[in-house]
Order: sequence, then structure tokens, then C-alpha cells
Amino acid sequence: MADALVLAEGLTKVYGTLEQTRALDDVSFEIGRGEIAAVIGRSGSGKSTLLNLLGLLDTATEGRLVLDGRATDGASSRDRASLRNELLGFVFQFHHLLPEFTVWENLLMPTAIAGKTVDAALRELAEETMVVLGLEGLGGKNANDLSGGQKQRVAIGRALMNRPPLVLADEPTGNLDTENTDAVYRLFRRINADWGTTFLIVTHDQEIASMTDRILEIRDGKLVADVRNPVGAPSVAAVAAGLTTSRSSSAARS
Amino acid sequence: MLPLKIAARFLRTSPVQSGLIIAGIAVGIAVQVFVGSLITSLQASLIERTIGSSPHVSLRALKDGDPVTFSSAVARVVRGDSRVTAVVPERDISALFSKGTDKVPLSITGGDLADLNTIYRLRQRTVEGEPSLRPGEIMVGVDFARKYGVKRGDPANLVLGGNDVRTLTVSGIFDLGSAAANERTAFTGPELPRQALGYRPDQYSLVAVQVADPFTSTAVATAWRARLSGIKVTDWQVDNKDLLAALNSQSASSYMIQVFVLVAVALGIASTLAISAVQKTRQIGILKALGMADGSTAAIFLWQASILGVAGTALGVGLGLALIAGFTFGTASSPSAFPIVAQPVFVGISAAVGMLVALLSSIIPTRKTARLDPIEVIQNG
Ligand SMILES: Nc1ncnc2c1ncn2[C@@H]1O[C@H](COP(=O)(O)OP(=O)(O)OP(=O)(O)O)[C@@H](O)[C@H]1O
Ligand SMILES: [Mg+2]
Repeated sequence: MADALVLAEGLTKVYGTLEQTRALDDVSFEIGRGEIAAVIGRSGSGKSTLLNLLGLLDTATEGRLVLDGRATDGASSRDRASLRNELLGFVFQFHHLLPEFTVWENLLMPTAIAGKTVDAALRELAEETMVVLGLEGLGGKNANDLSGGQKQRVAIGRALMNRPPLVLADEPTGNLDTENTDAVYRLFRRINADWGTTFLIVTHDQEIASMTDRILEIRDGKLVADVRNPVGAPSVAAVAAGLTTSRSSSAARS
Repeated sequence: MLPLKIAARFLRTSPVQSGLIIAGIAVGIAVQVFVGSLITSLQASLIERTIGSSPHVSLRALKDGDPVTFSSAVARVVRGDSRVTAVVPERDISALFSKGTDKVPLSITGGDLADLNTIYRLRQRTVEGEPSLRPGEIMVGVDFARKYGVKRGDPANLVLGGNDVRTLTVSGIFDLGSAAANERTAFTGPELPRQALGYRPDQYSLVAVQVADPFTSTAVATAWRARLSGIKVTDWQVDNKDLLAALNSQSASSYMIQVFVLVAVALGIASTLAISAVQKTRQIGILKALGMADGSTAAIFLWQASILGVAGTALGVGLGLALIAGFTFGTASSPSAFPIVAQPVFVGISAAVGMLVALLSSIIPTRKTARLDPIEVIQNG
């Protein structure tokens, strides 16, 4: 796949010098444009580490990473920052909103960093995103005064606002109830359909995982499974073999 | 402009901290402006009192009591010097004022009113009667007039030595601003003392000279000494060594105070900004993760320092000027009051130093911010 959006070759991350942890060990894969993929794995398996590398927040000890055709190895801190702003939407495991700013300002922070002015189109997009995320009427509220789930939803909205080609989401629905989880997932799907945005979602939620196009499983830092869901009919059974962690019981489902 | 907006928001969301820093800068700058202006005005006032109405350079005879000859050659040297603003040939005599049983010593300075006016400013200091020194007229001070019940137009009997008794008419009463001078000094025309002293028309007790900048008097005197033989040239700075030494040490200690105040202000701003930078580490990490460049995040702290610097300095200058106004108002009725004039140079320097200190103290947080790796923040929640 020459036109892969993400091309990872032998990505390896070793933490520490004396006591070394191989958090990620020789991971290679490609993700095409417009895919929605899930990353699953036990706690501590290296999912966040992988996402941080893909998100240019951390640098790999070994390996090569090409994003949108651009080699990222050896890029300066400035170039990495502008690539982050331009290419990537990030939903962090901890929501990471700016407490000094309102919900609306947090939502639009990536566009402000990109130097965009809030024109009619952007305003409409932001307002619509707020509605879809169930945040109507909260725009003027201080980000600190929201519930955990509301903060999580603002963080999701923020990741989409710059219309990045790639959205990396680390447990985006970890704090949400079923109803909101479904709404977020439907939003991802719609944005994927409308803009061709690629999603890589770390999740413990088997249901979410099963609704994606593809599931990557990490175990002890290694990529141990890469399963494609049958197009149009994602089924739990098809990926059950690859699932080692799940919140709900797969037995109850089948 | 995003860094500025974020800086403003950071400051606004911790109003107590921001307020304290601004107050700290303001107090420091106010002290600078006030103490600086106070010392400068105090010294200006002391110098004005000391030499405002007295010669900066004097020409006398080599021997005390002898007359100095103000020849045209001497006059050319003195009047030809561009630094000179006033030249007053004077004849000084002592006399006894007698009224009833009172016999009061008076020291009388004789000269042309126009000349005397350039140094003693008799015209503007006349509080009663007319500034006039025609033959047979004398002007006396307010304290003298009050003490001995002398009014304008009154006759004044003067014993000039031996049995030379003259009766002059009081033309005006002056106030030289000092009780001693107002009680002891009198002015008259040039002729009467000349006769009493037996001088030729070109002979005087001294030639009093004022120069534009009083502190050039030593240079002026030195230059003249080389050209005027047989004449003793003295300058006020030599006569007032002790005063000048005192003024210098006063300046030095005031500079010390100001330096210490500035250091305290700088440390205050630096530590508060450093704390603020630590408190905002998470936010900076998030902004970087969202793609803000290192330079832009560093600019946030530079903007914070600038905003604090401008606000604190402006407030400080205002406060300093208010203190000066308050001090001047509060002491207006006191006889020893002197006007504190806000020194624009000092205000400018203080403001510039305030800004500089604020910006310098942002160096540490700014550099720390530029180095922060967003992953440290993102990983740790
Ligand atoms: N900064 C670090 N220094 C040392 N070891 C680290 C560091 N960050 C992560 N690790 C280790 O790397 C491994 C992978 O961590 P990672 O955060 O990627 O796990 P994860 O799959 O995201 O887990 P979870 O589902 O709990 O979020 C773990 O063993 C962890 O202890
Ligand atoms: Mg994780």
C-alpha cells in the first residue's frame, strides 16, 4: 500500500536505561486512508506507547514511521509540532483540557494554534460537533466545571476540529455510558464517511472494537494479531479469537 | 497573538497571584520614582539655597580688605566667557543702624540695581515698596524691618565708621528667603560705599560672577586664574566642600537603596513567574501536544512578564507621582519645605528598568517551557 497514511516499520520503544522495559517490540503495520482500526490489548501491553509514537509525542528507540508520506524520523521539535497540529487529532487517555479556558475555547484550540480564524464554516462545524457530542449549551462553561464524561467528549470534539486526516484516540469512551459511547462511535463513522478521516482507537470495549474495520492486538509490546472485520457485517465472533481483554462478556453475546 | 491571549488568560485566572506581582513591581517602581525625585529635588533645593543667590565665582584682591580693580582687561576676560550669566561688581561695607537706643550692625552691599538683580533677584523679592537704589536710597530685609519697625519711606540713620553718619531713605523691603540674610543684609547704590571706602571708580570689594552650570565653577575659576594675575579667584565648590561631600554620599546611598529595591523586585517577579511556569506545566504540555511550537509556548511567559511589567510599571509611576504630590501637599505649610519635582529622566529610567527586570525574570520560566517535552505531561495525566 504505497499510499498508506501510516507506515510503521519495526517500531520499538525501550524505556529506562538500567531497568529496561521493552514497551513496544518490532511492530510493523500499515494503515490505509479512511480506515477505522481498533488497537486492543491488556493493560500495560504497550497501546498508549504505540499511540504516543504514532502521534509524534514520543520518539521510537528503533524503527521507522512515515505519516501521510512524510518520514518523521529525525524531524525537529518544531516540525513534529506542526505535523501534530496539521495531521493529527489526539484524544488522550486523560482528557487533558485547559482548565483556564471555556469548553468552546478548548474545542477550537487546535484551530487557533493552526492560525485559523473562526469563520462561519468553522463555527458551524464546532456547533454541530457540540450537538452530536451532547454538549449543547455548555460552550461558555469553564472546562474545569464539567463532569468526567463531558470533558472526555470535549476532548473528542477538539481532536476533530482541525479536520486532521488521522485521529488517534486512547480510550476515548472510557468514561462514557453506553448511550454516549454509541453517539461517539456514530460520530466517528460519520466523519469517516464525510471527510475520509482515518481513526485508530485504543479500546477495552469489545463492542467498539468489533464495530471497526480492523483490529490490531498488542501483547507484551508485540503486534500479535491484525484482523479485518468482514466489510459491512462486523461480528464479535470473527474477532473473538484476537480479544484477550474485554469489558463485557463475549459469551453472553453469542 | 495566541500566546498573548493565553498569557492574558493565565494571568486573569490567577488574579491574586497576578495582583501581587503587579503590586510588587508597582511598589518597587513607586519607591524608585519617589526616592529618586526626592533626592534630586532635595539636592537641587540645597544647592539653590546655597548658591542660588550667591556668587559661583568671586574675584577679590590678593590681600583681604584691599579693593580689586575691575579694569577693562579683567572685564574682557570675565564678560567674554560664554559660560557666564551674571557679573556683579559689589562694594561691601559694614554699618551700624541706629534707631533710638538700638545700634544694629548691617552689612551693606552696594552696586547697580540692574547688576545686583541678576544674582539677588531684588526685583522679584521686593515685598514692600519699590526695588530702587537711587542715590540716598537703601533696601532692607523683612525680618530687619519687622524687628525695628522700619517701613518704606522711613529714614534710616547709618553710622559708617568714625563720625560719618548718613541718613538714607528706605525704598523697599525684600525677602531673600533666609531669616539671617533678611535681618543682616541691606542694599544700596554703588556711590555711597565707594566714598566710604575711598575706592576709585574701577575698584570694588569683589566681582561676583554666576555661571550657567554651577558645577563648572571650578573649571571657570581655574581658567581665569591663569589669565588674571594679581587677583584672587575663588569658587563656591571649594568654599562648600563639606556640603558637596555630603550631597555626594547622599546620592551614593540613595543609589544603593534603589539598586536593592530593584533587586528585590526582580527576585519577586522571577520567583513568582517561575512558580507560575511550574503551575502551568500541564497546560504547556497539552498545548505542545496539540501542535503549538516551542517558541510560541515560551512566548506565553514572555507575554506574561510583559503584561505584568507594563501594568506594574504604569501603576508604579502613577503611585510614585501620587506620593510626590502627597508629600508636596503634606509639607507645603512647613517653612523648610522644598518642592519635589518629579524628575522625568528618573521616571523614564525607573519605567525602563521595571520593564527590563520583568523581562529578565521571565528568562528562566521561558527556557524551562521551551525545553518541556509534551510526553511527560501526556503520560502522567
Ligand atoms: N515513561 C515510562 N517509563 C518506563 N516504563 C514505562 C513508561 N511508560 C510506560 N512504561 C511501561 O511500558 C509498558 C506499556 O505501557 P503503556 O502505557 O503503553 O500501556 P497500555 O497498553 O497503554 O496500558 P493501559 O491499558 O493500562 O493504558 C508498561 O509496562 C509500562 O509500565
Ligand atoms: Mg494506555
